[in-house]
Amino acid sequence: MEFLNNLLDQLSTAYELLAAGWGVQLLWGIAWTLAVTVVSMLIGATLGSLVAAAKLSQRGGLRFLGESYTTVFRGEPELLIIYLFYYGGTQVLTGVARSTGSIGPTDILNMPSFLGGVLAVGIISGAYQAEVFRGSFLAIHRGELEAARAYGMSALTRFRLVIMPQVLRLAVPGLGNVWQLTIKDSALISVTGVAELMLSANKAARSTHHSLLFYTLAGILYLVMTSVSTPIFDKAERYTSRSFVRPK
Amino acid sequence: MPANLSAASKAASSPDDDKAAISVKDMRKCFGDHEVLKGISLEAHKGDVISILGSSGSGKSTFLRCINLLEIPDSGEVRVDGELIRMKQGRDGRQMPADMRQVERMRANLAMVFQSFNLWSHMTVLENLVAAPTHVLKRPRAECLEQAEALLKRVGIWERRNYYPPHMSGGQQQRAAIARALAMNPKVMLFDEPTSALDPELVGEVLRVMRSLAEEGRTMLVVTHEMGFARDVSSQVMFLHKGEVDSLGEPKEMFARPPTQQFKQFIANFNK
Amino acid sequence: MDPNFYLSTIWSVLKALPLTLEIWFFGVAIGLVLASGLTWMRASGYRLGELFARAYVFVFRGSPLLVQLYLIYFGLSQFDFVRHSPILWPILRDPMYCTILAMALNTAAYSSEIFRGALRAVPVGQIEAAKAFGMPMFTRFRLVTLPIALRLALPAYSTEIILMTKATALASMVTIMEMMGTAQKIQHDTFRPIEVLTCAGVIYLLLNLSIARLFAFVEYLLSPHLRPPPEQSQQIKPVPEVL
Repeated sequence: MEFLNNLLDQLSTAYELLAAGWGVQLLWGIAWTLAVTVVSMLIGATLGSLVAAAKLSQRGGLRFLGESYTTVFRGEPELLIIYLFYYGGTQVLTGVARSTGSIGPTDILNMPSFLGGVLAVGIISGAYQAEVFRGSFLAIHRGELEAARAYGMSALTRFRLVIMPQVLRLAVPGLGNVWQLTIKDSALISVTGVAELMLSANKAARSTHHSLLFYTLAGILYLVMTSVSTPIFDKAERYTSRSFVRPK
Repeated sequence: MPANLSAASKAASSPDDDKAAISVKDMRKCFGDHEVLKGISLEAHKGDVISILGSSGSGKSTFLRCINLLEIPDSGEVRVDGELIRMKQGRDGRQMPADMRQVERMRANLAMVFQSFNLWSHMTVLENLVAAPTHVLKRPRAECLEQAEALLKRVGIWERRNYYPPHMSGGQQQRAAIARALAMNPKVMLFDEPTSALDPELVGEVLRVMRSLAEEGRTMLVVTHEMGFARDVSSQVMFLHKGEVDSLGEPKEMFARPPTQQFKQFIANFNK
Repeated sequence: MDPNFYLSTIWSVLKALPLTLEIWFFGVAIGLVLASGLTWMRASGYRLGELFARAYVFVFRGSPLLVQLYLIYFGLSQFDFVRHSPILWPILRDPMYCTILAMALNTAAYSSEIFRGALRAVPVGQIEAAKAFGMPMFTRFRLVTLPIALRLALPAYSTEIILMTKATALASMVTIMEMMGTAQKIQHDTFRPIEVLTCAGVIYLLLNLSIARLFAFVEYLLSPHLRPPPEQSQQIKPVPEVL
């Protein structure tokens, strides 16, 4: 009985806190987290396909560059990359602005936090996406490429009609994993001051002294975000591989 | 009706009846609704080589696997050297072994040779031969090693004793697997289609080894598609059809005058 | 360019390497024990254990490690019984223990999935052969299932270990002065983040590359049966890509 009362107490406190504005804060946090993740994924997709192409290239130099990219950005702590883009960006911007005289010699021009964060997470995401794309390309049946060549398709046509659709189909499950990884990495850019979910939870925890409540809530919300994306990617996989399933 | 009961009854009335190396009575097994074994009995005495024939789906492999309880039969009894393998009712109403230790002891006496060799891929050939004797029979390692080397010489792959199974041809792997079975000094050897996974040119080397085992008086149950082996080497042929014993008898007799229409058809299909 | 600055930065960060390795080692080791337990629960066939393991993996893989760390370090101290417990409180008020705990709990979830996959990938025929030769369950596991599964798990597990090296950097978020924390302090003091973070980055990269090499070597040692057969063994096998 005492336990139940206690629980009810806790729940009503939680409700009051959330109604007092922290709930809205958390919702905004979710929105920002999703924004950061989507933009990072797009940056990562662009970089990732370029890097994958470099890694698959015949030219040794390009291959080396591609390898280095994936090795470095998958081998470094995410936090370090984020600091590098945020504080490093600030260092560069300040240097440039000071030398052109657009700010005073002791002023600082800060890196926009969203930009810095998204660049860092996007570049990390790109390293993982590059691996996914490369793996998917290698998994395409060699014979299909040969057939395309045998029918006299140009390189571009081959890419558009045979390679692209297959790489996408094979990449869907891997991209689903990278998407979840990117959501989780996005929590780290709270250090730059982007008001995403982690920072919102942080602020709420610090000002209300209810860390348990807010970090638990944040954890649950992240869980919801990562698990909601699973069925979406499953559906995408079914859609992209529809030619491989016997029609009903 | 099983056409040839004479061989079975003759076996049953032999003087050392209770000393049959292995005897199976009325074994039944269903997979879901499909009844794979519809009450099969078999008795093998010391030195018997029984070939078990049948088209695919006749239940012959399942029968062999039920004997050493790799598959659990729904009913029926298995005796090894007269000792009954005790079964009990499981929680889900199915039969299960009453005493796993007894089953393990029984299995150690019935060494099995598989269709796909199933050598342990992370051990060298020599280690494959030594693993079970040292860990199951608890024999001293030095003695096991000595025996293993002798067995490998006998099956002709002593030079490959330090190879890993993936590095050998199918025929060599199967000969190693037979040596692994021999290393247990088994009372009965069970062969589950030992040549079916082999390239045609490798079948001969394995059959030669099996023939020499038969000649030295080993007790063997052989599920096979090799008609030549069944006819020339085995002492009895058992033909399964749709989960039942269709016919059973002396191989010369059976092949010269097929007792049933099914068996006649079966060998006709093979001779085509 | 100021070589002295680089050298002194690298030296300062390197002095924090033992602390980073300490967090890494205990996180990975405790995680390994927990992961074995989870894998066993998952494979045991007990409905309840399986359910627990599934839920555990779902929760710890689905949320960021940072949230887990904050929840343990800041969140759990809200419980009165934690603050008054003579065992829990000394652990949970120490940022170092909390980081190790968070890392261990997190890596256990990922590792148990890796181990489960490896166990399922062990060829059924080889286990059956062990049964057919009368090996009792434990002997079977020790001689056949475990050695084969370990080799199968190694590549994915080495990737997980490297993720853990990267995760040690999160300790700096709870005031621990390991390599990342040290680098950040120097960066704040000097306002030269690019130089400082590059130095730290080089050290992290070298650390991870050495771990990857080490694992590749262990994998090579443990899988003679996957190497080319003896006649061709003169050929040099390329070191597998781990990072």
